[in-house]
Amino acid sequence: MEKYIKWKNIYQNPSFPSFIILIAIIILNAFLQHNFFTYRAFKSNLLTFTPLILTSVAQGLVILVGCVDLSLGATISLVTVLMASLMGDSLFSMVIVVFIGSGLALLMSFINGFIISYFDPPPLLTTYATSVLWFGIALFFMPTPGGYIPSHFSKMYRSDLFPRFPVVLLFLIGAFCFLFFMSKTRFYKHIYAVGGNEEAAYANGVNVFITKIKVFLLSGIFIALASICVVAQTATGDARSGLSFSLNSVAASIIGGLSFSGGRGSIIGPIMGGLILGLLINVLYFANITSFYQEFMKGIIIIFSLAVGAIPKYLKTRSL
Amino acid sequence: MSFILEAKNLKKSFDGVVALSDANFTLNQGEICGLVGANGSGKTTFARIISGLIRPDSGLLYLYGSQIHLKSHLEAEKLEISMVHQNLSLIPEMTVWENINLGREFTTSLGILKKEEALIKASQALQELKVNISLYDKVSQLAPSEKQLLEIVKALSRHPKILILDEPTASLGFKQVEILFEKLNQLKKDRVSVIFISHRIWEITKICDRLVVFRNGKTVGEVDFHQQPRDEKLIIPLITGKKENEKEKSIHEKRPFRNFDTHQTILEVDNLSKKEKLYNISFKIRKGEIVGLGGLNGQGQEEILLILSGYLKKTSGKIMLNNKEVLIKNPSQAIERGIFLVPGDRQKEGLFLNHNVFTNLIYPQVALKKQKFLLPLNALFQTVSTAIQTVSLVPPDPRKLVSHLSGGNQQKVVIGKWLSLSPKILLLNDPTKGVDVETRRNLYKIIADLSNQGVSVLLYASDNEELIANCDRVLIVFEGQIVEEICGDDICEENLIACSLRVQ
Repeated sequence: MEKYIKWKNIYQNPSFPSFIILIAIIILNAFLQHNFFTYRAFKSNLLTFTPLILTSVAQGLVILVGCVDLSLGATISLVTVLMASLMGDSLFSMVIVVFIGSGLALLMSFINGFIISYFDPPPLLTTYATSVLWFGIALFFMPTPGGYIPSHFSKMYRSDLFPRFPVVLLFLIGAFCFLFFMSKTRFYKHIYAVGGNEEAAYANGVNVFITKIKVFLLSGIFIALASICVVAQTATGDARSGLSFSLNSVAASIIGGLSFSGGRGSIIGPIMGGLILGLLINVLYFANITSFYQEFMKGIIIIFSLAVGAIPKYLKTRSL
Repeated sequence: MSFILEAKNLKKSFDGVVALSDANFTLNQGEICGLVGANGSGKTTFARIISGLIRPDSGLLYLYGSQIHLKSHLEAEKLEISMVHQNLSLIPEMTVWENINLGREFTTSLGILKKEEALIKASQALQELKVNISLYDKVSQLAPSEKQLLEIVKALSRHPKILILDEPTASLGFKQVEILFEKLNQLKKDRVSVIFISHRIWEITKICDRLVVFRNGKTVGEVDFHQQPRDEKLIIPLITGKKENEKEKSIHEKRPFRNFDTHQTILEVDNLSKKEKLYNISFKIRKGEIVGLGGLNGQGQEEILLILSGYLKKTSGKIMLNNKEVLIKNPSQAIERGIFLVPGDRQKEGLFLNHNVFTNLIYPQVALKKQKFLLPLNALFQTVSTAIQTVSLVPPDPRKLVSHLSGGNQQKVVIGKWLSLSPKILLLNDPTKGVDVETRRNLYKIIADLSNQGVSVLLYASDNEELIANCDRVLIVFEGQIVEEICGDDICEENLIACSLRVQ
């Protein structure tokens, strides 16, 4: 049988440029941040990046199926608000509240998925509308940041499970194992089919409706995980705490080589994209760039990464 | 004899446009039944109903004598009905093996894909039709004919009892068609029933046992080849609905020989090469001449047209227009010089489907920056009206949306939009793909008229008979080289095929 791995396939892989960028930015980071390879720095970086990586995966899944979820950030906000207003000091209440919060995230993703696959409106506008809705509800319950998160909940999140093994790594490893398992299922192929060409997928007997709803539910799981991280890290409920994730996760997915029209790229892409964005903020900080310019530089570098991501496509059209 | 499949009085309309008004159809076990009709006669709609993709508004459907209501495509598949779609149902970003297995993947009890089995199944399926493509290639990397073959392979891999082929041969070369026909005959021996939809009448007469004709959504006739001769003359009048009189002879009537040796050379291509595609292509086209590009499919004919029209870059060589070398870097430079391309995929490259005829026809003029700031709409309307007359668009309504026109009329719009810019050279890339007999005749009449007015034409057609009927000269392309030039009376089927296959 012929070889599966061909050099051409590797460098034409949509995630290839983001891999190169990732390595470059890691090297840059290691130069600027002197203790980059120490456990302390590793852990603190991990704590900062985890929510972004998880949301990027959530967004990536939705983008793969040909939709987009702009309400992702507002969902996180609403979940943090809910958890901060319900959580008590006992372990029992913490567990219950985490489950309620996750359930809420799943419910909101399901609502998005159902509206999009049943009524077939443009996903961009639908999720924009729901994001305004979630944000409104969150503001209604908690106009200013507040609520109560027990300090040992945050401590638990920041603690080590074993020596040199932070709890937060468990989140990521669990998520990756789950993704790895999922990538072996027929459902994963159906995501690409629906994202690539909905009508053709239908003609092949793929249930487009169910596939889309499943993808949104799956993305809901990752949103729930991200919400737990955010709430443990900030230790408050804040209606604005999640908002930046919506577009950052889209940027991370596209930097990771996903096509905005769906069905193209690998789910590893958003993970790398999330890491790139996280490390980018790090680099800007350690390069002593004033906060005025940080956002500006971030914008420039995102545009640059997107342009680099377009190179395989350019090479392809040129060799038409 | 009882029928394996029977459809009675099927009706279907889309947004008030009637696609099928009274379709009746029967299918025996183990026969190949042709289904023909002009564009928009409802063939595809009918096929989509049978395969469960759409539900009819009314009418009855019987399978093995019992009535069925197909609610979804999955249900049709359970009844072992499989369809080869005209607008391919392949996912471009997925690999060949993934596409073959899509929708019916084997999984373990944990839901994990059995990849090895899928690979074996896919490679067996490919071998059955002798298709030579890699299992790991993405569909978007395949040539049109390979995609079409893959679509057929996919349908066959489901081992259907009833197989529907919707214009499977439109983008296949004749060698591939022969393999397909072999396979169909083998299926027939295995008692599989086949519905074969095609515009190519000679294919129907070659392979089919029986033939059903649709016109305007109605079943208008049936020809049983066991009792009636396999003759195109019996079929054409059924399709067009016109009695064939003396003036209208066969569609593929050879045009009288014209000598162009004394005419001025318009276009000269000298040693044109493109990396891995074309090697030292040289030819001349004289004023008013119609030159054909023949040969097997995908030997580089399309690349020649695309380079001349500025879509592709050449690696080396010269293009001379009126004895002056010109650089054509992009399509707009080609258009400025009067070189226009009528693309093969009109829906994708030639038209704005959601716009009306008027907008589509004026677009090239507007794009060329010749206009004032405010568009002279009245004057443009005049030019559009004349263009519509010249190409005899049906219906002649400039406000109609292009997506509501039939395929042939869409193609007329593509040609019509160039007319007001006074073309010098018209490049036609398989213009009659999926176009019915009547419109085909019209199109070639327009092209002949243009050539009489001094427009030179370079025509690539996957159908040899069209080259025979319309060209003054045919260049045979083989693996990126021009290997033969056939002139005048030598242009005939045997010569073309012999040269295409490089048989001496």
